[in-house]
Amino acid sequence: MAVDADVVRLRRGDLNALSELINRYQNRLYRYLLRIVRQPAEAEDLFQQTWLRVVEKIRSFDASRNFDAWLFTLARNLAIDHLRRIRPESLDEPLANSWHSENVVDRISSKDRTPLDHALAAERRTEISEAMAGLPMIYREVLTLRFEDEMKIEEIAQVTAVPVSTVKSRLRRSLEQLRDALEAQYPGGRWQ
Amino acid sequence: MNEHDKIRELLALAAADALTSAEEKRVAEHVRSCIACSNEWEAWRPMASELRRLPTPQPSSWLLQATLARAEAKFTEQAEHDWNRRVVIFVVAFAWLLTIASWEVFHIVSGRFERLLGPQFSPTSFRHTLISFAAFTALEWLAGGVAAVMLAIRQRGERRLV
Repeated sequence: MAVDADVVRLRRGDLNALSELINRYQNRLYRYLLRIVRQPAEAEDLFQQTWLRVVEKIRSFDASRNFDAWLFTLARNLAIDHLRRIRPESLDEPLANSWHSENVVDRISSKDRTPLDHALAAERRTEISEAMAGLPMIYREVLTLRFEDEMKIEEIAQVTAVPVSTVKSRLRRSLEQLRDALEAQYPGGRWQ
Repeated sequence: MNEHDKIRELLALAAADALTSAEEKRVAEHVRSCIACSNEWEAWRPMASELRRLPTPQPSSWLLQATLARAEAKFTEQAEHDWNRRVVIFVVAFAWLLTIASWEVFHIVSGRFERLLGPQFSPTSFRHTLISFAAFTALEWLAGGVAAVMLAIRQRGERRLV
C-alpha cells in the first residue's frame, strides 16, 4: 500500500515522504479536527501540531500497524488536551452556531444534476451540519469518523480508545440525538 | 424486550452500516414484515446518506506550506539532535578509552622510571605521582564537562534566536 511505503520512507528520514503524507491526509485530518474543535483557527493550529507530533513520534510507530488510526489518535489527543485547556465544558456540552460560521456551504463540491437539486441538497447538508455542531464532542467525533472518514467500527475504537461496543452505542446515540435535533429545529419537515 | 423493540434499536446502526452480517439479516427480515419498522428505516436512510455527503472543508494552501515548513524544521532539529547525541556518546567512549589507555602508559612509564631510580626510590613519591595523575584526569573530565554544558547552553540560545 502506498501509505505504508511513505511511512517507511518517513521513518528513514525522507522529507518528501512527509510532504506526501501531509498532502494525502490534509482534508481528512483537517475535517476531523474542525468537527471536534469547531473553530477553523484552532483546527489549523492543531493540524500543524499533529504533524509536528508525527515527526517526533514516527520512529516509535510500528509500521505494521494502521497509520490512519495512529495519526487520528495523535490528533485526537492534541484536540482533547486543547479543549480541556481552553474550554473544559466543550467536551460534553453542545456549542450552537459556531462551526457553521466557517462557511462550509461555499465549499460544496456537488454532483447534483439541476440547480434546484443542488440548492435542496445544500440546504439539507446545512441543516445536518448545524444540528451536528450542536452535539457533544464524542458524538460529533464518532459521526465524522464513521460517515465522513468511513472508518470501520474497529478503527474508530482504536482512535477513541474505547471498546467496539461503546463505539456502537455512541454511534446509535449520536444518530438519535442528531435526528431529535433536526426534528426539533425543523418540525414537520423532511427529517420526520 | 421483544424482537420488534430490539430491531428498532438496531435501525440507526443499520443506517450507519455498523451491524454484523447476522444482525443485518435479522433487520432485513423484520423490516420486510413490519410496516412501522419499515417506515422508521426509511426515516433513517436519508439522514445517513446526507451525512456521508457533507462537504469537506479544505485546509488553506498556506496552512499546508506552513505545516510542511515547521515539520521540516522539526525534522532537521531532530536529526541534528540525534547526530549530537551520537557524537557525545562517541566522544565519551573515546575519552574513557584514552583514560584507560593512559593508565596503562602511566604504569609502564612509572615502572621504568622506578627501575631507573633504583633501590633508593621512595614509594611515597610514587603515590604522590599516582594521586597527581588521578587529580589531573579528574580535572580534565571536569573541564570537558563544563565546556560541554557551556556549548549546549550557547547552542540552545542560538536556536531560540533563530
